[in-house]
Amino acid sequence: MKSRLQLLLFAVPALALYGGFFLLPAVQGLRYATTDWDGYSPSFTDVGLANLTDVVSNDDLFRNALTNNLEFLLAVVIGQTALALLLAVLLAARSRASTTLRALFFLPTVLSSVSVAFIWKFVYDPNFGLANNLLGAVGLDRFQSAYLGEESTAIFWVAVAQVWFHAGQMMVIYIAGINQIPEELYEAARTDGANRWQQFRHVTWPMVAPATALVIAYTSLQSFKAFDLILGLAGNPPRSGLDVLSTRIYTTFANGQLGYAAAESVVFMVAIAAVTFLQNRAARMAHG
Amino acid sequence: MNRRDLLRLATGAGAASLLAACAGPGGDSPDESSESGTLSFAHWRAEDKEVFEKIIAGYTGAKIQQDISPSNDYQSTALQKLRGGSVGDAFTAFRGAQFLDIAEAGVWTDLTGQALLQKYEPALITAGALDGKQLGVPYQLVFNTPLANTDLIGKAGLGEAPKDWDGFLALLDKLKSQGVTPIAWPGGDAANAGQLLNVMVVNNAPADDALGKIETGEYKVTDDWFLTVLKQYQQLAPYFQTGATGTGSDAALALFAQGKAGLLATGSFQVAGVRKLGATFPVDLLAPITTTADKAEYEGVFNATFILGVNAKSSKQDAARAWIEHLSDPAVAGEYANGTSQHVTVKGVEYTNADLKALAPWLTKKTALAPRFQFTDLDIRGAVENATVQVAGGKSPEEAAEAAQKVIDQKK
Repeated sequence: MKSRLQLLLFAVPALALYGGFFLLPAVQGLRYATTDWDGYSPSFTDVGLANLTDVVSNDDLFRNALTNNLEFLLAVVIGQTALALLLAVLLAARSRASTTLRALFFLPTVLSSVSVAFIWKFVYDPNFGLANNLLGAVGLDRFQSAYLGEESTAIFWVAVAQVWFHAGQMMVIYIAGINQIPEELYEAARTDGANRWQQFRHVTWPMVAPATALVIAYTSLQSFKAFDLILGLAGNPPRSGLDVLSTRIYTTFANGQLGYAAAESVVFMVAIAAVTFLQNRAARMAHG
Repeated sequence: MNRRDLLRLATGAGAASLLAACAGPGGDSPDESSESGTLSFAHWRAEDKEVFEKIIAGYTGAKIQQDISPSNDYQSTALQKLRGGSVGDAFTAFRGAQFLDIAEAGVWTDLTGQALLQKYEPALITAGALDGKQLGVPYQLVFNTPLANTDLIGKAGLGEAPKDWDGFLALLDKLKSQGVTPIAWPGGDAANAGQLLNVMVVNNAPADDALGKIETGEYKVTDDWFLTVLKQYQQLAPYFQTGATGTGSDAALALFAQGKAGLLATGSFQVAGVRKLGATFPVDLLAPITTTADKAEYEGVFNATFILGVNAKSSKQDAARAWIEHLSDPAVAGEYANGTSQHVTVKGVEYTNADLKALAPWLTKKTALAPRFQFTDLDIRGAVENATVQVAGGKSPEEAAEAAQKVIDQKK
């Protein structure tokens, strides 16, 4: 009994910190979502569900941010999962060259998002940037672009930067998954005459399904919450083509509408929960 | 101290953290840290840090510490910090929305009647006044009017600035025929892309407060006068550098500083940056006159910003006021102006900096107070500025205006 009490006492600081810095602000956020508080006035007025209704049904900027966010998520999930798997398959074998290459591909992950944004700003600059200079150097001037300045496609260029940033991290998860596949399965496949593609299709891919579920779940959440890389590349406030949910909430907050920003955060939280739920369902269905 | 004491301590700290997290509306008492001997001077001009350090070194009053945030962060979060009283015993604010927000939060102290006001040009500090009270003093006088490389303009055979829109387009044609980019415009940087809007609207708008009236709903961006503005952006688009809508501020600055562009569509606040990049050519200002000569009311645009104030939540208000009084001295203001290539609103300042001397005639020209800062809602400002960028990117003025008006209607 004494030992249980001691354990509880040990948990108190952690519970207090969790309660104080997570649960309480979350509950306060819900409260502020029903007010018109500007973030600094000593008082506010209750507006009931008006903020939430506006966010959901009458706010084109929020809807635009949600659309951008979903496009960004889709592009990153597809790009990052495919690239990470490709790198993992190519570099799973242990050799000095593959170890060096793994380290190289993992390197961007250790950078800060602001540094990554800075690097890619140089890549995408229409006049001085690497991308347009390379295209120009090989005679492909017609493909030169304003990249982040193209309203309809800008978010996909940010997705490319995000994939570059985190693909190495996902590669490590896949390599761990691939290394757990018993060698006997490949031997059996080879005995049956399977070529490399067939070995990948019928052995590697099904066997790394748990890793794929993890990569997709992690990448989705990461993409949905992306903030600093987007703000770093797009500037503050981002233009409509680059505005995502997190930057939208930030702009609303900076606009002196904390109550409305809290309502946007509530919808954001629900959207994240929905994405997570759908992924879990999909992962469960994939595993039968 | 035994394990039980440690546990008690940790529990106490946890409870204290929890209580601290409960701070909500009304928690505006000065922070204890502001009781220390150093005066906090909060601003966003990192590029002025060294000049301020020199001024601080010669100041015999309180010890001053500069609390510098990037301008975007300062715009977003300064009020929350100032309200706590721990940062910004003396502080600065942007003209427009931030100035008004700080006023509404009661963070400015009233400087009305203070002797230091006598040191300023009265007409240039109106942006720091509200409801008959002088809450702050705008320190910088900038011209939100395109910078011109007068060497290139001279080669284009131009003796004096065009007096109308057709003349301006003809100048751009001549610059283009010389193989240079007529206008470097940072269309990819929201903060600086909007500077051009100032000069594009002042002569087109039916009233000096037209952009403010867009925000209140009295005017619309679908009105003829604003459609004219957007159609003129459409005419300018071929004269912007390649990929203008994706060009950041630094890249546009570099194009101009390297002599690859005739105009830089931002303002005089970037002269220092141009020189820092090694440009040696003479610089002047050149505003597009968007109407015929007889209808043009203004030759350019100015802004009085970097509004200095004393924090009402600070426990060191007297020392903060003394610091601002020191900055208001013409000799000190001159040191700031010449060191940063910024004109100031203080009377009797002697400009020794070559660029400031060259731009000095603009101090007496007919210029309008920059209208872009009439917007107080970032979403509305963003929607209007975004319309100009979209037009430059190829969207039709009518479509861009409709989309922007939809956002304005929702947000106003």
